[in-house]
Amino acid sequence: MSSSRDDFGIAIRSALLQKGARQKFSLVFLLIISIIIFLLDTYQFKFIKLTKILINDSIYRATNIATAPFKMLPKLNEKIKETVFAIEENKDLKAELKNFRNKEFQVEFLKNQNDSLRKILESDVKIRGKSILAKVLLDKDSPYLKSIVINRGSKSGINKGMPVVDGNYLIGKIVEVNYLSSRVLLLNDLNSRIPITFGKEPIQAILSGKGENKPVLEYLPELYEPYGNQTVFTSGKDGLLLPGIPVGKTEMDELNVKVKLFSDPNQLSFVTVQLINTNKDKF
Amino acid sequence: MAILYKNLRASIVNSLPLIILYYLSISEIDTHFSNMFAILSFNLQIIIIYYWMLKNSSVLGNGHIFFAGVINDVVMGLPLGISSISYLTVSFVASYIRQVTVNMSLFTDWFTFLLAIFFSNLVYLVLILNFSDLQISYVDMSYNAFFTFLFYPFIWTIFNFYQKIMLLRVDD
Repeated sequence: MSSSRDDFGIAIRSALLQKGARQKFSLVFLLIISIIIFLLDTYQFKFIKLTKILINDSIYRATNIATAPFKMLPKLNEKIKETVFAIEENKDLKAELKNFRNKEFQVEFLKNQNDSLRKILESDVKIRGKSILAKVLLDKDSPYLKSIVINRGSKSGINKGMPVVDGNYLIGKIVEVNYLSSRVLLLNDLNSRIPITFGKEPIQAILSGKGENKPVLEYLPELYEPYGNQTVFTSGKDGLLLPGIPVGKTEMDELNVKVKLFSDPNQLSFVTVQLINTNKDKF
Repeated sequence: MAILYKNLRASIVNSLPLIILYYLSISEIDTHFSNMFAILSFNLQIIIIYYWMLKNSSVLGNGHIFFAGVINDVVMGLPLGISSISYLTVSFVASYIRQVTVNMSLFTDWFTFLLAIFFSNLVYLVLILNFSDLQISYVDMSYNAFFTFLFYPFIWTIFNFYQKIMLLRVDD
C-alpha cells in the first residue's frame, strides 16, 4: 500500500517537474505562471490590463491574417463560379464577335460597292446621254479574248456597239447582247479598234488592242513625231462612240505609241453602258 | 545544401502538430459544427496535446502549450490563462500516464484520455464558475467532451500514421 502510494507520488512529481530533453520549462512552473496570469486578469490589475490590450491587439491582427485564407474560401467559391460563368460568356461573346466581324466585312464590302456605285452615278452626270449601270458577272482572263460579261442585256435596252465606261473612262464596247447579259470587248483585246484623238492639233488615230494591258496607236500621221503623256479621247468618227470620252495617256515604247488606260481592265466590278442610238449596219 | 534541405524538411515535418495547435488557437476556425449538426463539437487542441505529450513530448513542449492556451483565451475572450491551465492539465495527465504505463495501445490511450478530458473540463469549469461572471452551457460542454472522447481513435489513427512518417524522417 505504501509502495503504491510512493509510486503514485513519484509519477506525479516526475510529470510535474520533469522538463524533458528539449523542454525549457517544467509543467508545474507553467501551471503556476498560468494561475498567476489568470488571477491577475480576473482581479483586473492595471498592469495586466495594459499588457492584455497589447497582447489582444497583436493576436487579433495575427488572427485576422491567419484566418484570411479561410475567409476567402466563400469568396473564392464565388470567384470560381464567376470565372466559369465568364468563360462561358466569353465563349458566347467570341462567337457573337465573330458574327459581328463577318457583318463588318459585309458592311465594308457594301460600303465599297456603294462608293463604286456613287462614283459611277457621279460620272453619269458628267457623261452626257442615257446610261445604265451593270455589274461585271464574269471577267475571266483569257489569252485570246479580253472581254467581260455584264448583267445587262437587251431587256435593259443594250445594243451592240454601245460604249462601256468605268467612271468617266472608256473601257470597251458591247459586242454580244443577250436578253439578260452582254459581252463587252475591252480596249486591249486583239480585235478592238477605236477611233481616237489626242493632242492640240488634234491628231486622229486608231487605238488597237494587242492582247496586252496597253493598246497601241495605229494610223498616225506620217510626219508626226509622237511623244508621251498626252491624253487620248474618243473621236466619235465611227458614229458609234460619243466623242470626248477619256481613254488614257500616251506612252512611248521604241517605235510604237502605247496608251496607258485610265481604267485598269483587270479591276472592273461595275461598269456603265451608255445607251446611245447605234446603227447596227454601221457596227 | 542537401543537408540543409533535409534538416528543413525534417523540421517542418516535426513541427506540424505544433503548427496545427497554434493555428487552431490563433484562428477563428473551430471544431464546432453547429451549422451542420446542432450538438456536434469537439476540442481538437486537447486531442493534439494529449496524443503528442503521451507519444512524443518533444514535439509540442509545455511552453508552446502554455502560449497556445494564452492565445486561445485572447481569441475566445476567456479570462487570460484559463485555457493554459486547462491544456497544461491535459499535458500533466498525459505525462503521468506516460510515467506509469509501459505498453500503450489505442484502448489504453483512449481510456486514459477520458481522465484527461475530465480533469481538463473540471479545472475549466471550476475556474469559470468561481472566478468569472461567464455563463456556460453544461449541456454543450458535455457534448463537446463526449465528441472529443469519441473522435479520439480516429485522430489517434491519423497521428499514429504521421508519427511513423516522422520516425522515417529521423532514420533517413
